[in-house]
Amino acid sequence: SAPMVRMNTLVYATCFADAASSSELSLAYVKLIEQLAVFKGYSAAFCALKLAEEKFPSSTNSQIHLLKMQLLHERALHRGHLRIAQQICDEFGVLSSSVSGVDIELKTEASLRRARTLLAAKQFSQAAAVANSLFTTCYKYNMQVENASVLLLLAEIHRKSDNAVLGLPYALASQSFCKSFNLDLLEASATLTLAELWLALGSNHAKRALSLVYQSLPMILGHGGLELRARSQIVLAKCHLTDPEFSVSEDPCAVLDPLNQAAEDLQVLEYHEMAAEVYYLKAMTYNHLGKEYEREEAAARFKEHVTALENPRDEEDSLVY
Amino acid sequence: NLSLFPPVRPPKKTSPKKPPTKQQAAMAEEQMEEASSSAAASGTPFQLQFDKPIPFQIKLAEWNPEKDLLAMVTDDSKVLLHRFNWQRLWTISPGKCITSICWSPDGKIVALGTEDGFVLLHDVENGKMLRSIKSHDVAIICLNWAEDEPLSRTDKEDLLSYEDRTTRFFPPAPVMPRIGGLNSGDTGLADENEEAIQAFSSASCQRFNILCTGDKDGCICFSIFGIFPIGKININKVPIHVQSSGKRTSYRLQDVSISKQVSLSRNLHQLVLLCSGKLINTDNLSLSNDLSVGVHCLHLDTSIFSNRKNELHQVSQQASSIQDLVEVVRASISMMSKQWSNAMNLFHEKFSALPSLLTAHGMESSSEDEFMSLLFGTHTSPALHQFLVSSLGEAGLKRIAKTIESAGRELRIVVSEHLQPAVEIISFRLAELRGLARWRSRFQNIGLDEKLMDGVTERVGMLVVQVERFSRVAATVLYLFQNFLSWVLKCVKILLSEPTDQVPSTNSELVVIFLKFLLDKDPIKQLLETDQIFEWDIDTAKHVEHLVVFGGFTDTKFLERSLAKQFSELEESLKEAFLMPFTTVSSQIHCQGLLPLYPVTSSDALSSTSTPASIAFYKDKDSQHNASSYSSTDYICFKIPDGSLNLRNFVAVIKDFCNSCSTSNTPSLSGFLLHIPVEYECVDLSLYKDNQVVLLLSGKSSSENAGRSWMVMLQTENLSFSQFSRTFPANYYNLQELEALELQLDTDYGKVRSVPHPLSTPLAVSASRGVACI
Repeated sequence: SAPMVRMNTLVYATCFADAASSSELSLAYVKLIEQLAVFKGYSAAFCALKLAEEKFPSSTNSQIHLLKMQLLHERALHRGHLRIAQQICDEFGVLSSSVSGVDIELKTEASLRRARTLLAAKQFSQAAAVANSLFTTCYKYNMQVENASVLLLLAEIHRKSDNAVLGLPYALASQSFCKSFNLDLLEASATLTLAELWLALGSNHAKRALSLVYQSLPMILGHGGLELRARSQIVLAKCHLTDPEFSVSEDPCAVLDPLNQAAEDLQVLEYHEMAAEVYYLKAMTYNHLGKEYEREEAAARFKEHVTALENPRDEEDSLVY
Repeated sequence: NLSLFPPVRPPKKTSPKKPPTKQQAAMAEEQMEEASSSAAASGTPFQLQFDKPIPFQIKLAEWNPEKDLLAMVTDDSKVLLHRFNWQRLWTISPGKCITSICWSPDGKIVALGTEDGFVLLHDVENGKMLRSIKSHDVAIICLNWAEDEPLSRTDKEDLLSYEDRTTRFFPPAPVMPRIGGLNSGDTGLADENEEAIQAFSSASCQRFNILCTGDKDGCICFSIFGIFPIGKININKVPIHVQSSGKRTSYRLQDVSISKQVSLSRNLHQLVLLCSGKLINTDNLSLSNDLSVGVHCLHLDTSIFSNRKNELHQVSQQASSIQDLVEVVRASISMMSKQWSNAMNLFHEKFSALPSLLTAHGMESSSEDEFMSLLFGTHTSPALHQFLVSSLGEAGLKRIAKTIESAGRELRIVVSEHLQPAVEIISFRLAELRGLARWRSRFQNIGLDEKLMDGVTERVGMLVVQVERFSRVAATVLYLFQNFLSWVLKCVKILLSEPTDQVPSTNSELVVIFLKFLLDKDPIKQLLETDQIFEWDIDTAKHVEHLVVFGGFTDTKFLERSLAKQFSELEESLKEAFLMPFTTVSSQIHCQGLLPLYPVTSSDALSSTSTPASIAFYKDKDSQHNASSYSSTDYICFKIPDGSLNLRNFVAVIKDFCNSCSTSNTPSLSGFLLHIPVEYECVDLSLYKDNQVVLLLSGKSSSENAGRSWMVMLQTENLSFSQFSRTFPANYYNLQELEALELQLDTDYGKVRSVPHPLSTPLAVSASRGVACI
């Protein structure tokens, strides 16, 4: 329960601020900033991060530093600054000790991030290779949560490489993993990926995909971050649009409402790729409805995001916060 | 239905025909088995199973839908529960006048409506009261508890199903704290009830059901599971639109009083009710006349319940358990404050002797100064010496220490076992609800508002912080008290020149802190009282402001509030948030149609509520193949009071009223009148399974048949329904158009049995058991 994470961290930060050790307190702050990044966007998170760094100047090498790199990486990925993302990945790799079997968590995180960067760079086979080796490591060290998320990543890689059939078993495996370990949010996102995969298999699966989305929505909306929420809204709209029995003109709200909500969330997140998708879908819908002014507007926004994605002009901006 | 009964039956009890005892009317109760199978039809149609003399007049009776249990309400408002073999399970007397009764669909709860507008829910197992909910201001005339038909579930709904995750992540919810020790007098009830409430909360959320309650003033309330209010509609204010010859006319009913019958169809789609009142044309007020006062049949569209039942189910499931937990928190806070103030009273009572002693000795100093000088060893004033040695004494000091210690222990237990887990589960459940509220397309139209839910989540977060702070403050204060008291004890021993090796060592710094901050103030009490402002040091205030950047609570002043104040704020916002679904759903219940039945003169309008009537919904036979969306037909059966419509001794049966309201092109409304033989009068009637009507006829006292009665079951399909028009408003009451049939007691379109006693209300039939009780 994400709101409870926040609440309990706040309880700690409020009530035990005078008694807690600085590393524990900094962990509480890290958790709060993570929440901010996921739910309120990067600008708020970086603002808070600055304050936290002032507060804990000594612990540069610890959690706060790690958090900074994580946030920078996420933001670079979202903005499409892949070179920066790669650079941060490399830094991650350096952080961990070179002895095998030590700092496993850091290493897995580094390679998970590498796989994601590769995926964003559309180097699917390399990404899959990294993810596969990561899965073996996680399996070896019994890291169940990572197992599930790596499986999900593999499914994602296959989906993005238009290999939906290959992705299905991974998504299903991830889902069942999550179920057995009570990882509700991850399970919901696995279900969402599953829905996306079904949707990729053709319009006759739209109904099934829709029901999967419905299943995962309460969980995602309640506890998922901005990105996951926006993704689920997009999938929801897509399900309706692909469904041959659904007619936009009859129920435009069913498509436009989720799209608007997704656009709002993505604006905060500066996620160009998905925002472009949202505006594309919006423009298409308005086109069907014959609303030309709105269509042009959505198309213009689409173009904005695509250019931002393709010409990452101010890359060094990504390292500044 | 013979097979329903145990194969070996106990020998039939014959009631000895003893004359009525000192009670006014010894009512002979007879149980009838309704022989509906053809095998039994060769013998007597209704077999007498058991009878039993009862020394009360029975006012209401109702069969349990699941088990062979009969609940009865006596004239002096006792509730009896009997098994089929007349074994009595329990008797309760709620102390209020009970005006209606009904069972929950799963047969585990019996709901009672009282004269002052309360709905009482009682456990079937032991008759304990589970809830008492005040939803009306006046007497509740009728109750109807309908459950969602499992058949109407479709695949789509299964996929929209939703799991309550709370049980996976949390231990069972905490219950109300009970007061241990000596002062447990006033909460004996809560103490007994807690297990039952626990079971009730978990069991009641299995399947979606709605309890509707109708009161004397024409209000109908709906509550999910009988506990979560979801809608209220006032018939007096509902506009009724009637299409007549292409013209739309609006009517309104005035001075409505709901009669005994309200019935919600099993797919929760429509509600039919009978009410008496004055019909006025809102477009043309002059048109109303005396005739417009009468009994009307109303059809309300409650399709919101069936269309949105998944959403409502989810929301009410969470919301009702949140409300339970809020009660737990309230009880915890009030108990803690009681415990603590008891302990503090004792402390202050003892220590208040010191200032007066000081003034008696003509000293200017305060008690704090005196203790300080004692601590630093400067001198011991005679007043303090006298106070410590004689008025307080070692025994008194020990008593105070013990009381405070036990109060502190209680406080700790309450916080750790009740308050804290309750608040935590509330916050978890609220977070789930907030997630649902974000799904606007599904939950906005039942009024779950995201903004309000956000506000409530913030408030509960602050409450969590407050609870944590409270437990810290309490721990500190208790330690300081302990330290101070043992120091005083040590001083007393020194003054009496006794050995002090038994006394635990004390920290004199903490004694100073105690004297400075606690001798006159009481931070625990401050936190437990709503109107107190709690002072909090500047560092923390700054810290809290600082946390806002990190996503903390934007209301930085919240630490100034006391715990109790914070809790009442949470309650406020919860109320507001749950009022939204209530008003939203209420506004979506509309009146679909109206059928005036018969006029009543205003003098006997009051008695019309007691006219026998029955409404039931039957599944359409031809729609069986499509299990997901079957339709149902409503049957309304009522006795026309003598003299109304110039008819005497008539019973009317009408069917298909709902369908005729919703689809105006197919006038399917039909019915018939039944003329009861003149020497009998209809005492009570009821609709029974498979479209039958059961009538109780009693011989009129003037005729030679006095003392003989009949019980008649008619198969309505064998009787000819004739259609009748709903032309409006040319002639309000169209019932005379119906074909009138003579009821002959020897014909075989039904089953007839004579009973050798005079009969009176009530008649209770049980469709699932095939039994009737008269």
